[in-house]
Formats: sequence, structure tokens, C-alpha cells
Amino acid sequence: MTGRGSPSRFLTAVLHNGVGRYVRQLQRLQLLFSPTAADARGARQFVEEAALDFARRHPDVVLYVSPRAGPAPLLLAEYLNGTVREELIASMTSEEILQLATKLAGQSGLDIIRIRKPFHTDNPSVQGQWHPLTNKPSALTVRGPRLQPQ
Amino acid sequence: MASYTKAAQQWATFARAWYLLDAKMQPPGKIAAATVIRLEGRHKPIYHALSDCGDHVVIINTRHIAFSGNKWEQKVYSSHTGYPGGFKQVTATQLHLKDPTAIVKLTVYRMLPKNLQRRTMMQRLHLFPEDIIPEDIQKNLLQEIPQPRAVPKRLDEYTPEEIAAFPKVWIPPKDFRRK
Repeated sequence: MTGRGSPSRFLTAVLHNGVGRYVRQLQRLQLLFSPTAADARGARQFVEEAALDFARRHPDVVLYVSPRAGPAPLLLAEYLNGTVREELIASMTSEEILQLATKLAGQSGLDIIRIRKPFHTDNPSVQGQWHPLTNKPSALTVRGPRLQPQ
Repeated sequence: MASYTKAAQQWATFARAWYLLDAKMQPPGKIAAATVIRLEGRHKPIYHALSDCGDHVVIINTRHIAFSGNKWEQKVYSSHTGYPGGFKQVTATQLHLKDPTAIVKLTVYRMLPKNLQRRTMMQRLHLFPEDIIPEDIQKNLLQEIPQPRAVPKRLDEYTPEEIAAFPKVWIPPKDFRRK
């Protein structure tokens, strides 16, 4: 990076995820909310209504529900590659939190930054890349233009 | 592809080739046009303006270039030293006598794009007044660029047999008197 312009990366999948079987990259989802605060009302409603259903539909995600007095209700997502994402769920409804949790469960944990090209291949060329001697007479590789032919 | 690693493949793709061009009896503009394409790398399918993919061009026999018309007398190369009264003007003949590679060099320089890569590309241009090339450059040469113009043959370069065998429209009689 030169420091100019926005951060960017290339299009990748974690370890060719989904080519054979799909491994969910979200490892752990922690719901931190206050049992009393007004802005955590949606979070409390989510625990009552939708959390069990969400956990049942995502058996490969560990869902922690931690009621504790804190500054703000949070959704803490930990991914297999070590990424930890904190999502603020203050003043969100139960449906919005469910939507956010489902979105986090579907993500790969790779940085959400500009992707330079919307395509990628590990094998750029099947026939071999071009080089200066492509489509040139093979005699050139042995002798230059001014030497006598042997 | 299997025998290459990817890095070696990239090196091969961006390897620089050395081209030879014989300037004997060629117009400088035509030489420059053929040279600039290769110096910029525009002849390559991988060309991109930001990837430095130009090749080397070796031009020999720059002393024996050919101008058409009366450009040797009429064409003027102007420069300014920067000092008052420092405006210099020389004809093509004068410049060519001073430096036999200067005309080709200037023509190529003026035909290159006017950007920061111009000096770099000029460093990949190798000019020789005659057809003698140093050993290390000779070893690098890959291919000869076809000459833009056919080299004319002078009458004194034909053998007497060839001249005698040339078809004639009319054979003068023995006692023919030329005026």
C-alpha cells in the first residue's frame, strides 16, 4: 500500500470454501446486552423470541447470550480466521438483530474492503503465458540475427 | 507450464528482447516509427502503459541513412543554449557530419511520448554509425527488424556479367556515334 486511496484486496475464498463442502466461517456469536437498559429492548426481545430458533438453524455457530450491565448492547462475531467483528445493536428491533446475525453467519470473516476485480483465477492461462519467444521461429533461441546459420 | 514456477513465468513474460535494425539507405522517420513501437513495448500482447515492458533496439549504419528530397540541405535542426543569442541552427548535413547518430537519435526522441518514461526508453536505444557492434550487445540480439524501405543497389555494385545480361531495348550499332 502506498497510503493513497482506499484499502483494497483481491477476490478470495477461504481455503476454496464451498468447492467441496461448505464450512461456516462464523465460529462464535456473543450477544451482550443489559437486562434493564432501554436501548437493549430489541436485544432482550431477540433472546426471548428468536435466539433459540436462530441457534437451531445454525448448529455450527456457538451462540452466547450474556446479560450484563454494559455501555451498549453488542453482537460479537468471531470467525475461524481470527477476525472479531463488533456490531452495535442499540435501539434495534428483534427482526433487525436477527437479520444482522444471519448476515454475520454467512460472512467469511475476510476484511470488508474494496475488492479490486470482481473475478479471480489461480490458473491465468491454460496454454501458457505469452513471452518474447512465443510465435517466433525457434532458430532465434539458438542464434541471433547476424550470425551465420550452422 | 508444469515445469515453470509462476515467478519464472512472469520473468519470462517480461523479459526484454533486443532487436537489430539496419538503417542503411532508410528514411530516419521510418526507422524511428519502427523503433518507437518496440521501445514502448506496443508490439507485445501484454502491453500496458504502466508496466515498463519496452524492448532494446540496436540501430546500425546510422551514418548511411537516406533523406528524400533536398532535406540534407534544407532541413534545419534548431536548439537554444539558454544564453542570450544562444539560438543555434544547423542543417541536416552539418549535424550528420558532427555526429552520425544524432539525426536518428533526435527523430526517435521526438517520436516517443512526451512523458517521464521517455529518457528511460531512450536508454534502451543503442546507435552505431557503422555496422560494428560491441561483443556484449551482439550477444543479446534476438531478431532483426525488417527494413522499412528496400535498399537500392548502385551500378558499381553489379558485376560486369550482370550488367551485360541486363535486357536492352536497343543495341547501338558498332559505328554509332554518341553525341
